[in-house]
Amino acid sequence: MAVALARKTLVHEWRRFLPAVMSVGFSGVLIIVQGALLLGIVGTNALPVTQSRADLWVGFPGTQSADLGRSIDAGAAAELLVDPRILRVEPLLLGSGDWRGPRGGGVSVTLIGIDTRPDGLGLAEAMPRSGRALLTEPATVLVDAADLDKLGTAIGGAAEINGQRVRVVGTTDGMRAMGGVNVVASLATVRALDRSLAAAGDVTYYLAALRSPGAARAVKARFSQSETRKRFEVWTAEDLAGRSVRYWLLESGAGVGFIFATIVALLVGTLITSQTLTAAVAASTPQYATLRAIGVPFPKLRRIVVEQAAWVGAVGLALGLAGSLLAAALAYLNGIPFALGPGIMALSGGLVLSVALLAGVLALRRLRHADPAALLR
Amino acid sequence: MTADVSLRAWGLEKSYVVQSIRTQALSGVSLALHPGELSLISGPSGCGKSTLLSLLSGLSRPDRGEVRALGTDLCALDDAARDAFRLVHCGFVFQGFNLFPALDALEQVQLVLDYCGIPHDVGRRAAARVLDMVGLGPRQHLRPAELSGGEKQRVAIARAIVKRPRLLFADEPTSALDSVNGAIVTDLLREIAHRSGTIVVCVSHDPRLIARADRVIEMEDGRLCRDSRGASRSGATETCP
Repeated sequence: MAVALARKTLVHEWRRFLPAVMSVGFSGVLIIVQGALLLGIVGTNALPVTQSRADLWVGFPGTQSADLGRSIDAGAAAELLVDPRILRVEPLLLGSGDWRGPRGGGVSVTLIGIDTRPDGLGLAEAMPRSGRALLTEPATVLVDAADLDKLGTAIGGAAEINGQRVRVVGTTDGMRAMGGVNVVASLATVRALDRSLAAAGDVTYYLAALRSPGAARAVKARFSQSETRKRFEVWTAEDLAGRSVRYWLLESGAGVGFIFATIVALLVGTLITSQTLTAAVAASTPQYATLRAIGVPFPKLRRIVVEQAAWVGAVGLALGLAGSLLAAALAYLNGIPFALGPGIMALSGGLVLSVALLAGVLALRRLRHADPAALLR
Repeated sequence: MTADVSLRAWGLEKSYVVQSIRTQALSGVSLALHPGELSLISGPSGCGKSTLLSLLSGLSRPDRGEVRALGTDLCALDDAARDAFRLVHCGFVFQGFNLFPALDALEQVQLVLDYCGIPHDVGRRAAARVLDMVGLGPRQHLRPAELSGGEKQRVAIARAIVKRPRLLFADEPTSALDSVNGAIVTDLLREIAHRSGTIVVCVSHDPRLIARADRVIEMEDGRLCRDSRGASRSGATETCP
């Protein structure tokens, strides 16, 4: 292996490179934490989907986000069950309510009505089987463990929703939403609490389980013919969740804020890193000029600088990822939605490495000063 | 016909424009330098000796004239070809040592061989051998900060000669050194010329170096004015017109 000039210089003069590494790292943390928080918050709108075990979701045609579902005709269930690949279908209701607890004051809540059978699909990830059984009793609800304080209640506590008395019989996990509060109840209880759902037999969504989950796209395609699409639309669970996140990212303006803040982070990162690398090149100008005198071609010197930039990027990125994992741990401990997925990490990693390399390219301009003839003046 | 192993220049002219004032650095300089000799270019500051070294080594081009090194017309080569020529044939020693702070002595020397495409192990052995030759064998694992000025210049010389160049250019190699180290470096340069038949060209106004050179070329106002050989300088061959 050749003498690792770039890496050895980086290690030997680490104090010189520290600002660049830190700025790259901070840019990374800023982008990842912002992105994960945004996706986490926006993702709460898709919680009914992501916390359920359905393969397919069936709802009102053109629904843009899971939380904006409108009623569809109950007859859809029979139509769906005609397909032999569909194992079973169960309804899910979305309603709204005004929560009044013992502390007084109202809190807007989203009512989610689920099938209470033990192997039910709806919100299966958010509660133990025993939790569903508790809901078979009328006028009982589950609230999220993280929302107990906000609602001023506890397990066994009583409250009123839309003027009707309910009892909190347990908690869900991971159903904390940013906008309002999710309150889970049986289908019958939700129909009783939200009168707009009471009258008709309509449902907000049908959740379908397939005999083989791999067939989801094919079944979806079958029900996407124009005649059925007038009455209902079928999505895979990922489709609907992704659609919900995209809708709120674009609709809420939060996405634009994220993009703006990311650009600022990248700009600052690029500036500091390029300044640092330029100073490092300047400090080594006589040495580089000596290599030029010996006959080392200019592109090989460029490689040294770009390699240094890549190292700065890699170390900064590692710092950034470590910082982001720490932030994720803190968020988890505090019940804050923080969607630290591979996508946002790859995006941030790519951007941050580009920052470092761009900074390296900017620093190359200083390399032009490494003129060997200048050593002889 | 044998290959031309000398370094020759004819009618070199070079001027610089600094703040719109043109300065003539060299006017019609012609000379021939031969293998196995330590030739010294000397003269007052601003006489054009560094410019001459720059042209002779192919670091810059003359406005007029020709430089022929080892039979190659340097002025006819493009930048990449001159880089390639220097990579194979030229070694340089500068007044300021110019060593990389992060590398130990062995790596400073080996780095050059890396760029010449020599395999790592071979390069490492060659670098160690040359450091031994300049008397730094036991100190090859020290970084510049741990070496004295004289030792640094010896590392720089080792770096310059490790690829066995046939042309070695040194710019004020002893000016930053005390008398003992200055003498060591001077003897090294002389030995390199005599033992390996290298053309060693030094620019210096250090009297210690002048006394030990095989040939002293004196310059003034961009022209050669005296060219003498032998330790006693008795055999002056040319003087300024």
